[in-house]
Amino acid sequence: MMNSVMTLNLQGFLFLFYFLPPRSYLRFLSNKFDLCVSQEFLRGRPKEIPHNEKLLSLKFESLDYDNIENQLFLDEERRMSYMGFRCLEISRWVICALIGFLTGLIACFIDIVVEQVAKVKYNVIKENIETFTEAGGLSISLILWAVLNCSFVIVGAILVAFFEPIAAGSGIPQIKCYLNGVKIPRVVRLKTLVVKVCGVICSVVGGLAVGKEGPMIHSGGVVAAGVSQGRSTSLKRDFKIFEYFRRDTEKRDFVSAGAAAGVSAAFGAPVGGVLFSLEEGASFWNQMLTWRIFFASMISTFTLNFVLSVYHKKPGELSNPGLINFGRFESDSLAYTFYEIPLFIAMGAELLLCLMSAVLFCRYVHRPCLQVMEATLVAAVTAAVSFTMIYFSNDCQPLAPDNTEVYQLQLFCADGEYNSMATAFFNTPEKSVTSLFHDQPGTYNPLTLGLFTLTYFFLACWTYGLAVSAGVFIPSLLIGAAWGRLCGILLASIFSSSSTWADPGKYALIGAAAQLGGIVRMTLSLTVILVEATGNVTYGLPIMLVLMTSKIVGDYFQEGLYDIHIKLQSVPFLHWEAPATSHWLTAREVMSSPVTCLNKIEKVGTIVDILSNTSTNHNGFPVVVQVMEGDVPAKLCGLILRSQLIVLLKHKVFVELARSRLTQRKLLLKDFRDAYPRFPPIQSIHVSQDERECMMDLTEFMNPTPYTVPQETSLPRVFKLFRALGLRHLVVVDDENRVVGLVSRKDLARYHLGKHGLEELHLAQT
Amino acid sequence: MSQHKNSLLLALLTLNTIYMVQADSLNPAPDMSSLFSTSLMSSFPEDLEISGYCKELLFFFKQRYVTFVDCLILAARPVKVCQNCSSSYSMLQDIYRNISDQVGPGNESCRDSLLSSDRLMVVYQLYSNLQDLWTSSNCESNLTNDTLNFLSTLNQTLTCFEKYQLGNHTELCKSCKKMYGDVNKLYGRMEKNDTMCIDLEDAMNMTRRLWSKNFNCSLPRDETVPVLAVSSFMLFLPVIFYLSSFLHSEQKKRKLIHRSLLDRYSIKAAGDGIFSVR
Repeated sequence: MMNSVMTLNLQGFLFLFYFLPPRSYLRFLSNKFDLCVSQEFLRGRPKEIPHNEKLLSLKFESLDYDNIENQLFLDEERRMSYMGFRCLEISRWVICALIGFLTGLIACFIDIVVEQVAKVKYNVIKENIETFTEAGGLSISLILWAVLNCSFVIVGAILVAFFEPIAAGSGIPQIKCYLNGVKIPRVVRLKTLVVKVCGVICSVVGGLAVGKEGPMIHSGGVVAAGVSQGRSTSLKRDFKIFEYFRRDTEKRDFVSAGAAAGVSAAFGAPVGGVLFSLEEGASFWNQMLTWRIFFASMISTFTLNFVLSVYHKKPGELSNPGLINFGRFESDSLAYTFYEIPLFIAMGAELLLCLMSAVLFCRYVHRPCLQVMEATLVAAVTAAVSFTMIYFSNDCQPLAPDNTEVYQLQLFCADGEYNSMATAFFNTPEKSVTSLFHDQPGTYNPLTLGLFTLTYFFLACWTYGLAVSAGVFIPSLLIGAAWGRLCGILLASIFSSSSTWADPGKYALIGAAAQLGGIVRMTLSLTVILVEATGNVTYGLPIMLVLMTSKIVGDYFQEGLYDIHIKLQSVPFLHWEAPATSHWLTAREVMSSPVTCLNKIEKVGTIVDILSNTSTNHNGFPVVVQVMEGDVPAKLCGLILRSQLIVLLKHKVFVELARSRLTQRKLLLKDFRDAYPRFPPIQSIHVSQDERECMMDLTEFMNPTPYTVPQETSLPRVFKLFRALGLRHLVVVDDENRVVGLVSRKDLARYHLGKHGLEELHLAQT
Repeated sequence: MSQHKNSLLLALLTLNTIYMVQADSLNPAPDMSSLFSTSLMSSFPEDLEISGYCKELLFFFKQRYVTFVDCLILAARPVKVCQNCSSSYSMLQDIYRNISDQVGPGNESCRDSLLSSDRLMVVYQLYSNLQDLWTSSNCESNLTNDTLNFLSTLNQTLTCFEKYQLGNHTELCKSCKKMYGDVNKLYGRMEKNDTMCIDLEDAMNMTRRLWSKNFNCSLPRDETVPVLAVSSFMLFLPVIFYLSSFLHSEQKKRKLIHRSLLDRYSIKAAGDGIFSVR
């Protein structure tokens, strides 16, 4: 291999580098290959490659989860009385209650609007189909259905594509990243919430293969981030409350409470919500938080429950705990015995492979108007496919008594019977799931279920990744429930004598669990969510076993959907643990160097220049004191953030000005909080030529005790510090406390365990 | 009303004493006696034994119960429960009400002694079973003009069916279509407004089955071509869309920033301060 590389020309040689696994770089190193060759290339323009999942984007910044214990902070803490701390604690609880309440209300709003609009839509189509079945011209009903679907989806897609692209999808990956410590721009804005809520209504009513549960989690997160700040920057309203919570650390805690409240509103699963936050969301967890989060999710479930009970005209009857109601699994035929457990496990193992990622890879559609067109086409195709399936289905079943909630189509069935394919396709997905769980054995015939599963699977794959806001929970539940029911029916026909235990509803539930588990790869929280949603604790064991098997089988082939999504977005995401074989890497190799440092008393001009250098978008600057003259690196004495420097520049906290104007107000922590979270860019701050010559004293504002590690620290150790403390910068120092380098999130996230051992991701712009 | 009923009851009571005696004597010796050497004593002390009045009531209850059950079973298929058995049900209801609410001579009530003095509560259980059955039959739903109208149209339709039954079924489908359609529409309207009694429901179900299964008059699936054409057109649209956007736009290219271990070694070697990323 060495020979072949040597004979290549320069360009081709470097091209090869991109595709060689990192191990081979190191082999080159050990061979003492002349390295200066590549340096000349580095001076040239950066290499361009097509987007793939093995990249880390530079546009993502980290959140400052680490508390800055500077002088101002200490002063404020000293001034605060005992009562002040008590009030803070109480206001945390008040905020959590508010989060739960508002999240519950949003869930109600979505639910009610979807139900009402869907009712109008389906009734119009149903009447149309009924007239045209008799008179002829069913293709017109097909067109009507497609046009109605498209018009709703167009609205939703326009909202998402043109107004807030971040609101696309379920939002769970984004919230996951946020809680991991990655700042995804605009993810917790009010505008995102509005677009998200309207978008999800449009896409569910538009008949796409989507659910409204995933977006609830994002909505909960946005509500939490908004409420806890006591103001809205978008509306330019400041209520002057909860000012203490205006920083990343506090906000993060509330956002995890919001995500939990969202889950519990979506599935009626308060405990599941808390565990979801624990498992998927909060990378930085503390026990104090758990109880508050549980409170928020309880409030949210019961707000939803109560409002829906009023809406269903049974006030006080708290029987609608979630957006999706699995119904009660309590009858005798739904009991299972221990010898069924192996069967359940087998079902978990045969889950359909998650092909969705394949669709994500080949998206060529980037322009907003094209995205809208794409979504519209998907809506039209969904309608066309559903209609064709219903049209050609021969599966007729007698009408069930008082099943008024489901829209039934007769079409070519005998009078008094309805088309059972239509129950699956001609309804909102939530209704279809419930009827798959609970309809009498014999309601669907196997062929219907098989066809339904296949078509819906492809539709769901295609729909995921469109520029509409929609969740993936319900489609997966629906696909799983359909083939689970199919398994149940087949089992019952094999063991025809003992058909009493093979109730298809039970297998539909297990199938749904397996499918959902295979797609999202959640373990603990999903088990609890499903157990809570079915309201039957005895299903805990089979659901857990099924989720375990489906996760094991799924992990063998591919990562979970959310992880793939995060990877494709090139987000520097820190997983639970450092890659297993990375102990040989030390901080010296991982860190970035040289580091741009600031002096304790620095010239304003230097600071402005450093901040406005666009090629180096640094965010944290070690503050140093020069001990000796000359080129020797200086000793570390603190760390200061870009946001702090900007606030300082804005308020012109210069040494000279402080001398001339003795009355100048001392800068407080409040001034930093007021600028949070949208610190102005450096370009908007005007610094005159005279002021450039002034000096700035950073002593009071810097964090005097930043975390540091020696150069020999191994990567897993550094990783642990980052994960446990939520760090943004970690200074690497030598034995005399001199700054050698700086480790940031991207330096850690780029190492991951691939098929050929440890791999390094490339960094890419934007 | 109740006064009147009571007097009627008394008259019946006197008439039925003979039967009672007969019934007692006819009452076959329970099989139990052959199994167990000793049987239960036939009577208990005076104050625990049920009174003659209550015995009477029990007897009437038995009679009416049997009549009603007879009627039900005979009217089971095709369902004519509401039509045939309403009167016997109301009689049964009366006697039960007598037992449970009314007070007999000497202010005595049979409620406790008959209904709830033991665990089995035979009388109560039997009655409540039938009551449930009756409630689920929905026979109490009120008669309206619609119902009468419906009955007459239904009868017309059935006669129409009978008329053409022997000939060609297509003939039947054509001639009875309007009438059948009217019935169907009327039924649909009634179903939406209130609950239907089981007789009507069953009659309608049978008619529908006759119409769709026996005479095969369901709508034919004859629009396959246009439906297929429209849907395949819609399926074809995305193909064009993706092809065109594939040809016209290219995937976003990402600018790489080269900074692997290798570079840093080279940079250090050159002592150059190339940008680092944070």
